[in-house]
Amino acid sequence: MVQEAIISLLQIVIFPGFLFLILAAFFYEWVDRKFVARLQNRYGPLHTGPRGLLQPFADFLKLLSKEDIIPYAADKLLFSAVPIFLLSLPLTALFCIPIINSTALISFEGDLILVIFITTIIVISVFIGAWSSTNRFSTVGGMRACLQMLGYEIPMTIAMAGPAIVAKTLSISKIVQWQTTGLWFILTQPLGFIIVTICFLAELQKIPFDIPKAETEVVAGWLTEFSGKKLALLRLAEDLELVLAGSIMASLYLGGPAGFSFMPPFVWFIIKLTVCILILSNLRALFARFRIDQLMRGVWKYLTPLALLQIILVELIPW
Amino acid sequence: MSSIIKIPFGPQHPALKEPENFMFKVDGEYVVDVTPRIGYAHRGIEKALEDRTYIQDLYLIERICGICSHAHTTCYTQAVEEALKVDVPPRAKYIRTIVTELERIHNHYFWLGIVAHEIGFETLFMYTWRDREIVMDLLELLSGNRVQYAMNMIGGVRRDITPEISSKIMKGVKVLGERMKYYKKICSDDKTILARSVNVGILKTKDAISLCAVGPTLRASNVKRDVRADDPYAAYDEIPFHVVTYDGCDVASRIATRCDEVIESVEIIRYALEHLPTGSIEVIVSRVVPPAEIISRVEAPRGENLHYLRSNGTDKPSRYKVRSPTLANLTALCKMLIGGYIADIPIVIAGIDPCFCCMDRLTFVDINNDETWGWEGEKLRRYGIKWYKKQ
Amino acid sequence: MSMEKELIRHLLKKPVTLRYPFEKLPPVKGLRGKHVWDSERCVGCGLCARDCPSSAIEMIGKGLTAELKIYLGRCLFCGQCEEGCPRDAIRLTQLYELAESDRKNLILEFKREST
Repeated sequence: MVQEAIISLLQIVIFPGFLFLILAAFFYEWVDRKFVARLQNRYGPLHTGPRGLLQPFADFLKLLSKEDIIPYAADKLLFSAVPIFLLSLPLTALFCIPIINSTALISFEGDLILVIFITTIIVISVFIGAWSSTNRFSTVGGMRACLQMLGYEIPMTIAMAGPAIVAKTLSISKIVQWQTTGLWFILTQPLGFIIVTICFLAELQKIPFDIPKAETEVVAGWLTEFSGKKLALLRLAEDLELVLAGSIMASLYLGGPAGFSFMPPFVWFIIKLTVCILILSNLRALFARFRIDQLMRGVWKYLTPLALLQIILVELIPW
Repeated sequence: MSSIIKIPFGPQHPALKEPENFMFKVDGEYVVDVTPRIGYAHRGIEKALEDRTYIQDLYLIERICGICSHAHTTCYTQAVEEALKVDVPPRAKYIRTIVTELERIHNHYFWLGIVAHEIGFETLFMYTWRDREIVMDLLELLSGNRVQYAMNMIGGVRRDITPEISSKIMKGVKVLGERMKYYKKICSDDKTILARSVNVGILKTKDAISLCAVGPTLRASNVKRDVRADDPYAAYDEIPFHVVTYDGCDVASRIATRCDEVIESVEIIRYALEHLPTGSIEVIVSRVVPPAEIISRVEAPRGENLHYLRSNGTDKPSRYKVRSPTLANLTALCKMLIGGYIADIPIVIAGIDPCFCCMDRLTFVDINNDETWGWEGEKLRRYGIKWYKKQ
Repeated sequence: MSMEKELIRHLLKKPVTLRYPFEKLPPVKGLRGKHVWDSERCVGCGLCARDCPSSAIEMIGKGLTAELKIYLGRCLFCGQCEEGCPRDAIRLTQLYELAESDRKNLILEFKREST
């Protein structure tokens, strides 16, 4: 009894809980930066640690030691609370994703809905942070983030419903378990995978959908006024979001930790997660930024009908 | 309900590399009106030129602009040479042409990178700036410096092109031409670039002429006007080339115009290197310039450069005036911005290839009632005398 | 999407960036760097000091005993001194790493060897 409690505590705190997830966040920021740099014929992070592996961590430490400025006109409580919100939300969502075996730390019927809900709450927190900092650029950035969410959220949710319908469950763990026996959903629902990938680019605010923090238009967007510790936490939160996006893609469409038995399931999960993040990074290097009206038009005109089409196909075709 | 909000853009803004202020009046996402406010980077170069000798001025003129330094000095040396009534040897003229065209390639690569950055296309930015290194290395090989070449002297050029350098330039520009053809293809194929550039920042032919736009901005509005062809200087009367025009009148055709100009420049350089005349590269000139009044024009990469020189028979000019292309394009820029989206402001401003520091004039601003006015030279002089007497 | 092929091609290539303090390009012939002065050749005409656009050259004394002081902090490296010198006494070398932490070190003082 006590032993079990200790094990589950260790699981939450160390592996695959907080410590592992935060380390993974730093690692995948490095992967993202290094890969994009290579695509652009640059070196990327180079000097801190082997091949610059420790650079994201060094950036984090540096920002922690910097002066933390709160604007005079800002709503101080909300402004300070937002980085903590934004850090804890993707961490919570990541607990619902099976990493070491086909059952997640938190698993119940309907955790897929929870995860989708959390991705929405993240954007709401972004908006609150932007609004409370009272900066002109922040406010514009926050509004753009919300507007963008109104666009991508619906096709994303519809597309994610595809695997859930086939597996007849709303639990991510059970969808993963279904895929250990059946085909991976990327093979049966490739359209859904593409739609979810595009929507996650928008969710992560990466090129071509980095409209809320488009540097040349609105400085740093909703991040403009954050500095020091808060910025460090926000950057870590962004990395966690990247891991979350990759994990959801890997779990729903690539079968999560399922794989051939010569390697432990955990390794399979890491491989699939890396593939998903490399796809996201590659797309980030491939496009120019859209305008907000072009994004909304594109999402409502093409992405939403395509997501609906995917659902119809799922209903029509028996597997 | 329509409410008009004032949004300041600059003088410190990530989209502007130089300090300049634009006051936008916006209705929702649309720009209704714009007022540029210039004068943040006024450096007093025209006044400083009057205190220095003609030889020293050469290097001050070069520093008006980093990117079109050779165009400015070419314009200056032309003016002084005309006042001195000296003929530059043909070989020097050809070398000047080659450097001018290399500089044009440099500028257009640089500009394409900036445009890519403004629309958030980081990869294109990295690639163009990487390829820009090739032309900078060529210029360094030729002149001894990457940006401020100091190639022009009054009465010729300073360094000769040896056959070894010539073959290296040939090789380099070939690569640059190939790469630019590729970038042109990218810019006309890629959906995201097209979405941000087609029908953005429209400047109709009629407006372009009436607002006196110059350079690639004018040529992208389908007006075939180029100082190199209309009023040939250096060796342009002997070298065949096309004046590139496009009729899109938007940012996309400005991109296409500049891409084609690079390909055209490569041909010009090739022709000039193959037909390089022999002979000396400079003539010795006197330090004192006889009284004269000269206007000199040069097609800089950004557009027409216009320099005015008044000499008074000493070794210093008595008045020198520079009109750089950005000043001519500024009114056209305001026209382009009106009616566009706020999100398109950076790309439209970048579209004219602005260089605000070259252009800045002195303006007086009364911050209490937002009034601006300028002073003429004579009034400024009198104010200066009065000010110094008080000291 | 039209750049994908180019991206994949570059993934396998070595980055072009030079890791500067560790890797250096050899300076080209004709690069304008730090000055050297040949006291044997200099006749002290003062043309370099007169034409220098930023008054970076100071000539101490006159004629054959003249000595040179160059303020590198002011120098534009335009090469006018080298170009204008009738005796080729002043030249620019290819030495370009001239950063100093003390302004005093940026003053080059050329002395004639006492005979």
